[in-house]
Amino acid sequence: MITVLRETHEAPASVQERLARAGGWNRFGEPNFRVVWGGSRLGWIGGRWTDRAADGNTLRERIELRLEPKYLPFDRWHIERWCPPEMYGTPREWYQRTLEIEDGRNVAALGPYPSRGEYELAFTLQGPRGEFVQLTPTVVEHCARLIEFARGSPRRNARAALYEREARAERAYDAWAFDLLDDTVPALYGVPFVTVPASFALQRPKGHRENTEERRP
Amino acid sequence: MPAQSNSQSVALQLEKVRDKIPLLYERDDILLTLIQQRGDVEKVSSRNMRLPLQVNPGGKAGSYNADGGDLGRGAGSSYDVAQISPMFFKFAVEITKLVEYATNSREKAIENAAKREVANGMKQFRAFLDKLMQTGGNGVLGTISSIAGSTFTMITPPGAALVYVGQTVQVYDATLTTNRGTANVTAADPISSSQTITVDAVPGGTVANDVIVHDGLSGASPTSLFGIKYHQNSATTGTWLNLNRATYPVQLQTPRVNAGNAALTPGNVRLALNKVRKALGINQVGKLIAYTSVEQEHAWENLGITISQIVKEGAGGRASDLDLLFTGQKTMSGVPIRSSINADQTRVDFLDLSHWGRAVMKDIDYFEVGGQTVFPIYGTSGGLAAAYIFYFDTGFQVFSDSPRSGSFVDALARPSGY
Repeated sequence: MITVLRETHEAPASVQERLARAGGWNRFGEPNFRVVWGGSRLGWIGGRWTDRAADGNTLRERIELRLEPKYLPFDRWHIERWCPPEMYGTPREWYQRTLEIEDGRNVAALGPYPSRGEYELAFTLQGPRGEFVQLTPTVVEHCARLIEFARGSPRRNARAALYEREARAERAYDAWAFDLLDDTVPALYGVPFVTVPASFALQRPKGHRENTEERRP
Repeated sequence: MPAQSNSQSVALQLEKVRDKIPLLYERDDILLTLIQQRGDVEKVSSRNMRLPLQVNPGGKAGSYNADGGDLGRGAGSSYDVAQISPMFFKFAVEITKLVEYATNSREKAIENAAKREVANGMKQFRAFLDKLMQTGGNGVLGTISSIAGSTFTMITPPGAALVYVGQTVQVYDATLTTNRGTANVTAADPISSSQTITVDAVPGGTVANDVIVHDGLSGASPTSLFGIKYHQNSATTGTWLNLNRATYPVQLQTPRVNAGNAALTPGNVRLALNKVRKALGINQVGKLIAYTSVEQEHAWENLGITISQIVKEGAGGRASDLDLLFTGQKTMSGVPIRSSINADQTRVDFLDLSHWGRAVMKDIDYFEVGGQTVFPIYGTSGGLAAAYIFYFDTGFQVFSDSPRSGSFVDALARPSGY
């Protein structure tokens, strides 16, 4: 019996090319953006591994460096963005931060220093409820537009935007709370009212005369 | 038969909004109610709620000699019991007669005043409880770094983020042994870098490194709501839900990434997520959320990796046409971000909320005595004062049944401008 452990796919060259044109190229001549399949994109994970059976019971513990899928879910397309090596600090800082000591052994928890930078997850292609979205030409075009839009958007207002979002949420809560509590009191707070349709009010039936004279001072 | 007093009629009117109280409270926009979403609310009595935990696996694995060899003896799983009991919290709202007289109609005024104070009170109570959720279970809302007159400059985190103007607080010494007294907050600045709190009167003996705790706590080493820093903790000493951390130093320890006062990097996030994956299984991060402060959300955006936030916020909504196909949900390496203005400004917590819950003895509601929820205030003469009071109260505690199911990055630098 053949058991599929991990499904792998490669994105078509035309897709990669479209995203590269939208996002540009890095200092190594590689695209700033690329699309990868979750099950195909592997990353180094080092340290003490606890392997479990399907029922959750512990099978074994191992201290080692493994290549494992970097992103979840495995069965989705992911858009990655290239990050320069300086974003990860110097090699010395990298190993200082990522070295784990397990049973007296040093393990680089994130593998070797990314001297050519590294691609990181920008976003996952999936629908509003997390459903699968296929990598069609329309979707690729949509992604490219997102990237182009992002390139043209200044990030200097990000802080203000975040606080504005919090204030907006606050105002929304206030409005919702008052609306909710308004349900507990009579309409218009018990003040008697009569509705008169606008169309009716505008009609001037025969014999109707506006009492303009009475209004004169 | 004496005439019905105003306060008695107000009680009836407040009953109209009674069924709205849980709705006002159980909104899923703060951490406390995010925990509620999973639906694991245990109704408890005054006795401790017990959480059985499998602390060590059982069985003896190994090879053996099938040619008459000895298979050896076996072993079973080890269990222990974590225990919690609810804490009670109250929020008092007092309305003077002037509020009532300030509107045109007597009946309408009472309705409006009650409505407004119910809405404001619930909002403030939710905020107070959410602030407690950021703490380490001892009620500490902040640490004083220096004192100038009646103004405290606070150490960040949490700075002045966990108090509100008008709140009554207490000052304890740094070891949480000596209660120096109470004070009322008259001003708080949690936004600027100064992070100051001004009080009406500084309790005698208050010095730098003293801590501020919420009202109602007493005695040495007080216990309050078990917040995020209580459950997501890498300490190997102390207690956790009545269990000695030293007894289970690995099982009760939440994986930690120490950022060393450096800015947030993708490496920090990757390390924290990988620690969960190594411990629980390679595909076990699907339920996580990245709970963090607005500051660290901004720091993550500053890295320029994510795109969706530009669509959601940076463009002021103009780019909504670009967001038709995708969730637009902001993520941190694929983990949805939930940020809060109350969260620790130097920390990112990866939480699996399916392991969190609340032990509830009393759902939030009006404090009631014999069916009455609004109570008169008495003046010094013994007669009625021109005011009345009502309370919201609730009794609960927060638990996590698996401290290893999350991870956190702490000691992060705050981005410039904060």
